[in-house]
Amino acid sequence: MTTANPAQLAAARPARQVIARFFDRWSLIVYTALAVIYLLMPVAVIVLFSFNDPVGRSNFVWQGFTLKYWMDPFGPLGLSDAVIVSITIAILSTAIATALGTLIAIALERYRFQGKGLMNSLIFLPMATPEIIMGASLLTLFVSYGSPPLFPLNFLTILIAHVMFNISYVVVTVRARLAGFPRHLEEAASDLYANEWQTFWRVTFPLILPGIVAAALLAFSLSIDDFVITNFTAGKTQTFPMFIYAKSRIGIPVQVNVIGTCIFLIAVGSVALTTLVGRRKQR
Amino acid sequence: MGTFLKRHRWVTPLALLAPGILWLLAFYAIPAFLMFVASFWSGTLETGFTFSLANWTNYPDAISQFMPFYIRSIVYAAAATMTTFLIAYPLAYTIAFKGGRYKNLMLFLVVAPFFTSFLLRTISWKIILGDVGPVLGPLKGIGVIPQDFHILATPMAVIAGITYNFLPFMTLPIYVALEKVDIRLVEAAKDLYAGPWRPGGLVTGGIFGGVLLSVLGLVFNADWPILGAFGAVFGAVVGWFLVSESFIRVTFPLSLSGVFAGGLLTFIPAIGDYINAELLGNPDTNMIGNVIQNKFLTQNDYPIASALSFAMMAGVLVVVAIYARILGTEELSAAAARA
Amino acid sequence: MTTNGQLASAPISRRRLLQGTALMGVAAFLAACGTKGTAATASPAASAAVPSAASAAGASAAASVAPTATPVPTPAPTDAAGAINWANWTYYMDVDPKDQKKHPTLDAFTKSTGLQVKYQEVVDDNETFFGTIQPQLQAGQDTGWDIVTLTDWMVARLIRLGWVQSFNLTNMPNFVANLKDTYKNVGWDPDGTHHAPWQSGMTGIGFDPAKTGNLTSLAAYFTPDPRWKGKTELLSEMRDTIGLTMLYLGLSTEQPTRDACDKSVVALQKAKSDGIIRGLKGNSYAEDLKAGDAVLVMAWSGDMVQVLVDKPGIKFNIADEGGMLWTDNSVIPNGAQHKNGAEKLIDWYYIPENAALVEDFVNYICPVKGADVALKKIDPTVASNPLIFPPDSTTARLHIFGALTEADETYFNQQFAKVLGVA
Repeated sequence: MTTANPAQLAAARPARQVIARFFDRWSLIVYTALAVIYLLMPVAVIVLFSFNDPVGRSNFVWQGFTLKYWMDPFGPLGLSDAVIVSITIAILSTAIATALGTLIAIALERYRFQGKGLMNSLIFLPMATPEIIMGASLLTLFVSYGSPPLFPLNFLTILIAHVMFNISYVVVTVRARLAGFPRHLEEAASDLYANEWQTFWRVTFPLILPGIVAAALLAFSLSIDDFVITNFTAGKTQTFPMFIYAKSRIGIPVQVNVIGTCIFLIAVGSVALTTLVGRRKQR
Repeated sequence: MGTFLKRHRWVTPLALLAPGILWLLAFYAIPAFLMFVASFWSGTLETGFTFSLANWTNYPDAISQFMPFYIRSIVYAAAATMTTFLIAYPLAYTIAFKGGRYKNLMLFLVVAPFFTSFLLRTISWKIILGDVGPVLGPLKGIGVIPQDFHILATPMAVIAGITYNFLPFMTLPIYVALEKVDIRLVEAAKDLYAGPWRPGGLVTGGIFGGVLLSVLGLVFNADWPILGAFGAVFGAVVGWFLVSESFIRVTFPLSLSGVFAGGLLTFIPAIGDYINAELLGNPDTNMIGNVIQNKFLTQNDYPIASALSFAMMAGVLVVVAIYARILGTEELSAAAARA
Repeated sequence: MTTNGQLASAPISRRRLLQGTALMGVAAFLAACGTKGTAATASPAASAAVPSAASAAGASAAASVAPTATPVPTPAPTDAAGAINWANWTYYMDVDPKDQKKHPTLDAFTKSTGLQVKYQEVVDDNETFFGTIQPQLQAGQDTGWDIVTLTDWMVARLIRLGWVQSFNLTNMPNFVANLKDTYKNVGWDPDGTHHAPWQSGMTGIGFDPAKTGNLTSLAAYFTPDPRWKGKTELLSEMRDTIGLTMLYLGLSTEQPTRDACDKSVVALQKAKSDGIIRGLKGNSYAEDLKAGDAVLVMAWSGDMVQVLVDKPGIKFNIADEGGMLWTDNSVIPNGAQHKNGAEKLIDWYYIPENAALVEDFVNYICPVKGADVALKKIDPTVASNPLIFPPDSTTARLHIFGALTEADETYFNQQFAKVLGVA
């Protein structure tokens, strides 16, 4: 081994470098592709079963291809109302929680003040509270003020609850973006503009925008999928997840898969479209 | 206005905090306080509940009785957080650095599966991984695995369920942290510390892989030394070949804020999760969330359910406090600056 | 109130006659459900008791589904404006096959009475639903619901807590006339004016005979046979799983004792440690059975009618040792804003023709006299389904789970928590 001549070494090194470069180049791409497949596999099944033609009420075993549920996506009673309620609440609660949470994140990350530890606890605790306990105590709160109650259970109480549990996730995500961000940019700006408002909109906001977008995505996914807390605060209002849970014992209607597919396609499609439009503009 | 704000420095943070904090106080803190009060109750639904500080014994009673469930929850949540991290980090890295103009689209593909219903996703997994489903069915047919082998109704299924469902909570914070890393800084570092990180990658990868698979092995009652050895070898190989010194010295420290944020966003809710255990587990995989669910809904034992919840939240606060003290964002950015 | 008293006297006297016969009643009412004779006698009583308009409209509505418009009686003045809100379990109401958004019998009710109904299938679990209305009832607030339909033991709890209202029977002539006798004297609602049975079902053995062979004994759940070991699912509903275990052990479910509960829990824990039990499921056992993840389950009869459509090989048996019988009941919670309307609506489904239309769709066992006769006219295949109209040989083996005091209920649930793996 120790007597290997220089020529052998020279031959060995390129081979090792080739392997290393190959790894370097492809491992991440392959890994990412596998991860994306893993993420999208359940979605593929949901899409596939939106074309299923079950004989009974259950949509669990593949029986045959049909388009009839795509022709009648809101067939079952209550489904369209539930979907509209869910999407509206998801959009509103995402908007409100993202705004409030971003402000908190900026305050916690950019300013020094007393009681930061307390604020931190208040941010993290909602994530640690079991949903059922939070839902039940929120319901107790809603029904114990006033007669008739100050907060009649409806759309508004669901929205209040969703904003509440979304704020924490927004704060943590936006802070991950703000943390360690070069502060000198803001300082330079404030020297120039001498206005915190302008500094925020022209410097800070563009810098943290990816964090805000990511936080909003999280908040939206949490809101549109929440069952437990919603179930406690909904009163007679029914949301999409509540509709699905109520149907789950005997069989979830195929239309639920159709709606699920549509939400997925619209979300991804709109982003794909903006990406493509942005590309054309660049040209 | 500018001078006013400069003179009263407390006004701006207060104004920024006020709306969100008030919302949380009104709709989180007050209900949580109601729950706290309930943990000092005694009695039943029929006779009514009475409050007494003497009922502080609810806490030691509940915690001692249900300690195994707390431990199981922490182990499952920790295992799921680690596997989530392993999947999410390379994913976020690729999106941030190789995504190009498709960054947003890729990001959306990561989150969009979670815009559909949890129940639908779980049903999909049950279809895919069913005992005679499209994956296990053919394998059993050709005799690769025994007939009674199953993935559903095992601890592995529960951890895999948590892993899948919390993936965006890990991926997105890591992505937003990585995305702010200045690529020129990385290039400069590459010039400085050209090449892979050896033998650090070997050692770190080996230890990490070994520990992770040993823990998973213990959870599944599998041969943990063999699994651990396998993990160590695999981790060492990955560390040797794939981890560059510039990554360890520059990119990774800069992304730590995202890693810890993602870790908390995954770990904290995962501890209290009950629905993955309920749908994918068996009676021996229940977590503390399942106990609270049963105590609250089935037994109507609101005091014990509340005490169990508060004990869990207290534990989480300790974790958060440690996070804030040791890995607080100020320290993090300082570490990044040093690198 | 005086008319109320007169009408109410009928069931009370009948109850006196039947005093002490609660338990044997189970078999009797199911037998009644399946035979023509007893049921048919209900009709004259009904028409005698019913104050014309509602019953006439109801009968014609049921017969033709689209009834002729009837003069609309004004809603009772005590009701608030707005629709009657009804919370029910899923797939528990007839649906227009051409338009899934329509429930024909509810539409007929609205046409006949002028009362709007907001019917929502939001109940997916007794306990979860109870959790969402408990704080309101505790605080003396309106829950938002005028009718909720829950299983008998949960209804017993609501009555025990004083959280449901007594019916004004003048609004409910068909209920008085057509409720099958054996539903009438339950221990937890002595005067029978707080609950109205909606549907009953049986709990028995569901299995895939291709994998397990034919099973007729509950012993299967406790025998580690390789054919179903690790592929057996029990119900997370305590009264079903403990009940069937008690029957297996030869213990009485009608008078459940703590001792019997302890013995059952020991047997179930043994079955778990033997690796027989894969899990205890509330909502998903039927899908697991269809997918092949489970081959032996404890199952509800109405679900099995549906499973058979999807996977015809599956079988459902009431075991030799017996099966459980349970009932979902409609009640009017305290604070309901539309009590009069709710009573009329509950009563609407005690018109046999309406009950038959529901039965044709939901596939459970009906508590209404004469519904089977009416159903034979609409859909003879359903009327001859033994899961929906079980033969006497089956009904003789069915048992109810007796009422528990609150202390006993807590004890049973605590013990059962061990089986569920949460204690």
